[in-house]
Order: sequence, then C-alpha cells, then structure tokens
Amino acid sequence: MAADELSLTFAALADPTRRAILSRLADGEATVNELAEPFDMSLQAVSKHLQVLERAGLISKGRDAQYRPCRLEPASIDPAIDWLEQHRRMWTERFDRLSDHLESIQRREKEPPP
Amino acid sequence: MSQPDTDLHEITFERVYQAPRELVFECMTTPEHLTHFWGPPGMSTPIENITIDLRVGGAFDTTMVNDETGEQFANLAEYVEIDPPARLAFREKGNAEGMTTTIDFIDQGDGTTLTITHQINVPAMFASPEAQAGMRSSFDRFDGYLAALG
Repeated sequence: MAADELSLTFAALADPTRRAILSRLADGEATVNELAEPFDMSLQAVSKHLQVLERAGLISKGRDAQYRPCRLEPASIDPAIDWLEQHRRMWTERFDRLSDHLESIQRREKEPPP
Repeated sequence: MSQPDTDLHEITFERVYQAPRELVFECMTTPEHLTHFWGPPGMSTPIENITIDLRVGGAFDTTMVNDETGEQFANLAEYVEIDPPARLAFREKGNAEGMTTTIDFIDQGDGTTLTITHQINVPAMFASPEAQAGMRSSFDRFDGYLAALG
C-alpha cells in the first residue's frame, strides 16, 4: 500500500470522535442521525467526520437515497495493522543482527595481533 | 529474545547483549557499526546513507536499501536525548512523524547489557489515552484482524 494511503488511514484514525464512530459501526450499520446521537455535535460536524472516514476507505455509505446507512469496511484497516507488524519484525531482526555484530567485534578484539 | 508487548500505541522491546554497555551504545551511535546491523535481513544501510550528529536536535538519518529491488527507505530523525552510555532517544520526522524511540542501556554487572527500547506514537494516533480505549474497542471487534497481530 502506498505511504499516502496509509497516512490517510492513520490520519482518519487519529481523532477520538472518528474512532468512537468506528466502534459504533462495528456493532452494525447506522444512519448519520443515529451516529450523531451519542455525540454533542451537529449533524454537519458528524457528516464531516464521516467524509474523512469514507475517503480513507474505513466506511462506506449505503445506496438507499433516504437513509444512506454507514457501514464499516473492516478490511481497510489491514494495511495499518500490517505496518505495525512489519515494524515489530524490523526491530526484532535489527537487534538480532546487532547481537551478531557485537559477538564478531568482540571475538576480533580477543584475537592476538598478527 | 525480543519480546514485543501487545500494546498498539506503544511498543517495548527488551534484549540482552553479551557485551559491555559502552560498546552497545557505541554500536547504536556510530555509522561504522550501524551499517552492519541497521537494515534488517534483506535490507542494507550503506555507511554513506547514515548521518549522525550526536547532540540533542542533531540528525539521525538512515536510508535503508532493499537488497533485491534497490528501493530506498529514508528514515529521518533527530536526537532528543543523549546520555552516554545509559540512554539515547530520537524522534522521527517525515513518514512516521512524532514516533519517538528511547533506548535504555542497562549494565547488568556481569558483562552483559540489557537494552529496553520503548517507542511511543507508533503511529501517532495510538498515543492518547482516548486512542487506547477507542482503538482497543474498535480493534477488539475486528477479531480476524487482531489475530494478525499475534
């Protein structure tokens, strides 16, 4: 995945309201009105958050012209999780190599000079 | 062994090295050493791709090269804490903006060194307390996806 798309996902997830919306949608689809209810926010403000989430591919909106319920697109979060996983692996492998490197330079130090 | 914890917002790796901490610290702060291990398997970090200006605010830039494709991955960071040989911290700029890595080097008194590498803002959104609660509950429900985290 392109770094830009990844930062779009991370940026969309960076806001607590948007994360709360995602949590709510994890229970099932909901309309904008239903989503706005628990927040002390205007419909307009909630719609704005939904736009950000939609642009990041984290949610989609239904076709029904009147209700257009929002639903979660859970697969869209995979790249973010993959990134974390790769990141962990990179550091673990880096430390493995440092261990090897330390062993080799100390072995060299112990060898008598030629 | 490294033991990454399971937190999403921050990661801690612990590792014991069979070497005095002065040497471990030197390895982490010298291009001549870093070039041997900084790129994980499949990647290398040529010495000319490493910039180290070992002072607070100084640059710590490394560009890793994929051994097969030649693709380059630049990591730009700046040092935020330098306390040789006990502690080193640097903060990412660019891609992983704000991610901060702190490495503590602990002399275990038997010639070995324990390093505790603690990273926060991995990525940035996981750092805030609400983020932890919010992301946790979101992720908790994405069972299949959580499984990918092991």
